[in-house]
Amino acid sequence: MGDVSRLLADYGPAFGQALFLTWKLTVLSFVPGFLLGMAVTVLRLLPLPPLRFVLTGYVEIFRNIPSVALLIFIVFALPDLEVVIDYEPSVILTLALVCSAFTADYLRAGINTVPGGQVEAALSLGMRPMRIIASVILPQALRAVVQPMTSLLIALMLSTSLASQVPFPGRELTALVSKIATDSAAGIPAFAVAATLYVATGLLIAWAGAALEKKARILR
Amino acid sequence: MSIKSALKSTAVVLAIVAGGPLFAQGTPIDAAAFDALVARGPVADAATIASSTWASKIKQAGKLRLGATQTSNLFSQLNEKDGRIRGFDAGLAQLIARYILGDGATVQFTQVTSSTREQVLINDQVDMVLATYSITPARAERISFAGPYYTSQAGVLVKANNKTIESYNDLAGRKVATQAGSTGPAILAQFAPKAVVQEFQTHQEALDALRQGRVDAYVTDYTLLLNALSLGTGDTRLAGTPFGAQDPYGVGLPKGSDGVAFINAFLKKLEADGTWAKLWTIAIGQRTGSTAVPTPPTIP
Amino acid sequence: MSRPLDDILFGTPSPRAQAVTQVASVTAAVLLLLLAAGIVFRFHSAGQLDARFWEFFAWPTTWSFLGRGLLGTLASAAMAAVIALALGLVLLVGRLARLRLVRWPSIVAIEFLRGTPTLLLIYVCFLVLPPAGVKLSTYWMLTLPIALSTAAVVAEVYRAGVLAVPRGQTDAARSLGLTEAQGFFLVVFPQALRYIVPALVAQLVIVVKDTTFGYVVTYGELMQNAKVLIANYHALVPVYLVVALLYCLVNYAISKASKWLGRPMH
Repeated sequence: MGDVSRLLADYGPAFGQALFLTWKLTVLSFVPGFLLGMAVTVLRLLPLPPLRFVLTGYVEIFRNIPSVALLIFIVFALPDLEVVIDYEPSVILTLALVCSAFTADYLRAGINTVPGGQVEAALSLGMRPMRIIASVILPQALRAVVQPMTSLLIALMLSTSLASQVPFPGRELTALVSKIATDSAAGIPAFAVAATLYVATGLLIAWAGAALEKKARILR
Repeated sequence: MSIKSALKSTAVVLAIVAGGPLFAQGTPIDAAAFDALVARGPVADAATIASSTWASKIKQAGKLRLGATQTSNLFSQLNEKDGRIRGFDAGLAQLIARYILGDGATVQFTQVTSSTREQVLINDQVDMVLATYSITPARAERISFAGPYYTSQAGVLVKANNKTIESYNDLAGRKVATQAGSTGPAILAQFAPKAVVQEFQTHQEALDALRQGRVDAYVTDYTLLLNALSLGTGDTRLAGTPFGAQDPYGVGLPKGSDGVAFINAFLKKLEADGTWAKLWTIAIGQRTGSTAVPTPPTIP
Repeated sequence: MSRPLDDILFGTPSPRAQAVTQVASVTAAVLLLLLAAGIVFRFHSAGQLDARFWEFFAWPTTWSFLGRGLLGTLASAAMAAVIALALGLVLLVGRLARLRLVRWPSIVAIEFLRGTPTLLLIYVCFLVLPPAGVKLSTYWMLTLPIALSTAAVVAEVYRAGVLAVPRGQTDAARSLGLTEAQGFFLVVFPQALRYIVPALVAQLVIVVKDTTFGYVVTYGELMQNAKVLIANYHALVPVYLVVALLYCLVNYAISKASKWLGRPMH
């Protein structure tokens, strides 16, 4: 315990900044990723074979590609195609793309939980398909996928450790532990602190997700 | 920096700059000459090996575990077509392996970067590290160095069409690449404290960053910059002359290992019988158009 | 099985709707082709379509070199997966135990391993453990953290499957005279497995993805061999594209194999 308090005395503010950076990256990639995933799901519903084909390919690619490989491609290979993206946006872009693919998958499963009868009823009421998607299908689908989306958010939070692999301005938790372990002998306390922060954040998200799920759950 | 070394460096630079267009495709290493040189290397007798616990351990294991790189054009590059690694560092490593293990020496290769070089020695993942590894007091606290076997100063590399940076004095406020865990950050802190530093894991990544415009300049060991020029793509140039202290490259070994004395004795042998000079010519001299063979640094 | 929603929404189009869909389809196809053409053109204008950047892919040595890298990836992934499946079972049994003394440490272990990034665990094996005296080989520095991290997730997946098996099965097993352990391993767990095969395979895909961190501990796998090719031929874009595609193909194949495995058995 003495080690930990000494470590916090030296690196306390650094850990605070690292935690904040982790949270910031998580939020900044989840929001666009989620919205993009939602857009992909909706577009996949449309009866346009070319569009469905391309979007299915999109989802398969970004679900199966390792995040590090994608990040390295964006940071190191894209500039050769004259697309130079700075490091922080590159990390956010990588995480958002991967998040969108998983969101699209989960949301599609969520959509399939909506009873067909509701859609038929809506059609017979004269509602247009797009209106049905927006007012009938999506709201219920979103409420059905709170639990997998919570898992996705936690996984995304853990994936922010990717930022340690590029010359990122600022250090998030994993990069900070790596630096402390290299510069000093306080590797174990640093790891303990970082692990606690990660687990605590994860539990917080899980608790919030569970509470949201209880309220949003549709009992059929 | 003495007049003599300044003149020598300038001569090398001029030779490279003048010969640049000739090396449009990058001169590949003379594989036959390299392989022949390594195959001719001396082999230690049993008594010499027994006098060193480090060498004995390797002899017993039947292979030398080496930490090095396979993507450094002049020093250690893997030709994936025949699976052989060739270069100045690679040659020294293979000569050391042959010295301890004799014919058919086996080198077990582990790819290291600037940030993993110390750790793999501390972790006992490798027996030695030969990877343009500068000897610094900070590193010497965690591991031991044999050598030096080569010296180099720092240099500034910029894109060929960059007219605004002429030396390290012009780096204030510019984005400068360097290798993480190398002497680059310390040199920049001393000579260009106002530069905005970006650290990269490998030489290749830093070079690409310069080429792609992510950074305005790349500061690292001068000889590594010769790498970029020897590729002869013509889109980079050296800004100014080499500067800073003479950077000695050493062979990384576990802390307190008696391999230090063993390798130092061997290095002195190589320098005395001309193998060092021949290796330099094959690996560096012929490929950068410089003919003046530098004198190897003195080994304490 | 009721019709899928998009079929209900758009399944029986009026003639007017059919016409609109046709037009929209064609427009979408044209726009997507334009997009593809734009990307190819960008490749061309950046000089990335030059032969020297692609010709080495025609040599068998290139592919055998990449293949060796892939073997490194799979060697680590396969071992990590096997350990994770076994260790996950151990953690599950601990998690479901009646004894608080066994249950609570299991819960802590699971939450801890699940709640930290695999990359952080890899750094620990590489940077933190050796000074403390634990020196693993390079292979294990990559495989062990991945195995531990995945084991925790697998334990939770097992638990979800076990909880989904109807309680009646356990009761029936007890009434037949089976002990609790026999009931669990012979009756409940095999049925749980059937529910969770897709989730387990999804974890296998994640294990393969995690092996791309091999370079952090200097383990030689596909990404590292890719960097050698790049250094030799300066072909950043083609090599990274091909490698990314290789990873996608491997993971896609694993996922498809799971669907094949999960097909109805009767």
